[in-house]
Amino acid sequence: MNPSTAPGARLTAGVFYGLVVAWAIAAWNAPIDAVQGVIQKILYIHPPLAFGAYLGFGCTAVFGALYLWKGDDRWDRWALSSAEVGILLCTLMLITGPIWAKGTWGRWWSWDMRLTITLLQYLVYLAYLLLRGFTEGSERGARFAAVYGIAGMALIPLNYFAISLAGGRSIHPQNLGNGSLGAGMGLPFLLGVLMVLAGFAYLVVRRFEVARLRDAEALRAVEASRGEGAWAS
Amino acid sequence: MNVFRAILWKDLVTEWRQRDRVVAMGVFSLLVVVVLYLAAPPGIGRDAQQHVPGLLWVAFTFASILGLNRAFALELENDALAALAMASADRGFIFLGKATASFVLLAAVQAFTSLAFGMAFGIDFWPVLGPFAAVCGLGALGLCSVGTLFSAMAVRTTYREVMLPLLMLPLMVPVLLGAVRATEGLLADGVLPWPPIQLLLVTDAVFGIIAYLGFEAVLDE
Repeated sequence: MNPSTAPGARLTAGVFYGLVVAWAIAAWNAPIDAVQGVIQKILYIHPPLAFGAYLGFGCTAVFGALYLWKGDDRWDRWALSSAEVGILLCTLMLITGPIWAKGTWGRWWSWDMRLTITLLQYLVYLAYLLLRGFTEGSERGARFAAVYGIAGMALIPLNYFAISLAGGRSIHPQNLGNGSLGAGMGLPFLLGVLMVLAGFAYLVVRRFEVARLRDAEALRAVEASRGEGAWAS
Repeated sequence: MNVFRAILWKDLVTEWRQRDRVVAMGVFSLLVVVVLYLAAPPGIGRDAQQHVPGLLWVAFTFASILGLNRAFALELENDALAALAMASADRGFIFLGKATASFVLLAAVQAFTSLAFGMAFGIDFWPVLGPFAAVCGLGALGLCSVGTLFSAMAVRTTYREVMLPLLMLPLMVPVLLGAVRATEGLLADGVLPWPPIQLLLVTDAVFGIIAYLGFEAVLDE
């Protein structure tokens, strides 16, 4: 089956591209912030990317746990796909964040609680992908990665505790809901969130399809080589 | 329980006869002390209390990685690791045995390194020896629990020695922060501050449970 015809892939792609257009128009037309100027428009992409990144990391841990529990390869493919897409969104977040920070705080990076935890989480999931890459045997790699993904998730609450203890100053806004968005900013923000979620779903579905085809191809190659052996007949 | 004792005993006896891991860890952490001392700004001896806790725990962490790397590499000879995995014993006890052995070795290295640090930076650990040992123990527990789990994984990867620090270091932040803050408070006021100890206790418990349960899935033939 061609990946693009996979069930759900076309639908999510359509929804995603539609949302990209709607979001772009809404963000373009949104009012320009009186204090921060045009750079404030990063708001419409940066927090949504953060939601997507954490969704990816959460899915990695949950699917990993399901894989360990059920032993079904499909859960492992979902875990790998969510980890990769999570890393992608996290990378984009870590690019947009400093640009916004430079424009408003005057420097690229601050060792704020949220920034530090996100960076650590990013490193954990980079290690997760390295672990998968360096482990021979897909079944073993899947098991190791699942355990590591779960351990990485347990780190988030511990880090909150740890970094507040270290006296990490907080300059990152705490929440954006609760009416802190100015008039006309709510719609593009909401569209941004929906766009990232749709993009996340689309990429994960596609990535899952690639992993499935790869596994199927590997299995086919093994069976073909077995068929050539004399004992098979 | 017998499995736990057997593994612990085997690891400690092997170590006692060869004395390679603990010596390597000790020499390495001594080197870290020397390098850190020389790299630090000249006046560091005067406000050593501020800097030493961080430097000390950096040395402990690196030494623990060195030791943990060997913990399962040891078992690769004669395929002992596969035999361990196939043994009918509860894998949790195998984990506890390996982790405790690493803990004992790390504790010995911590004592030795602290002595060296005390002399190099002019810090007297003697009046706070009891609480300091408790902080070292709590920190070592966190390092050795997930460290043992990741060591069992890393030994089965292509780049064994490279993989362990990559896996371990990002997860060590709560352990390090708790241990460093506790040591800092202890050296400054002579009493243990409660919040970092609390963090260490919680982290040790969480990591201990994850490592104990996760070990089931990482040991294989």
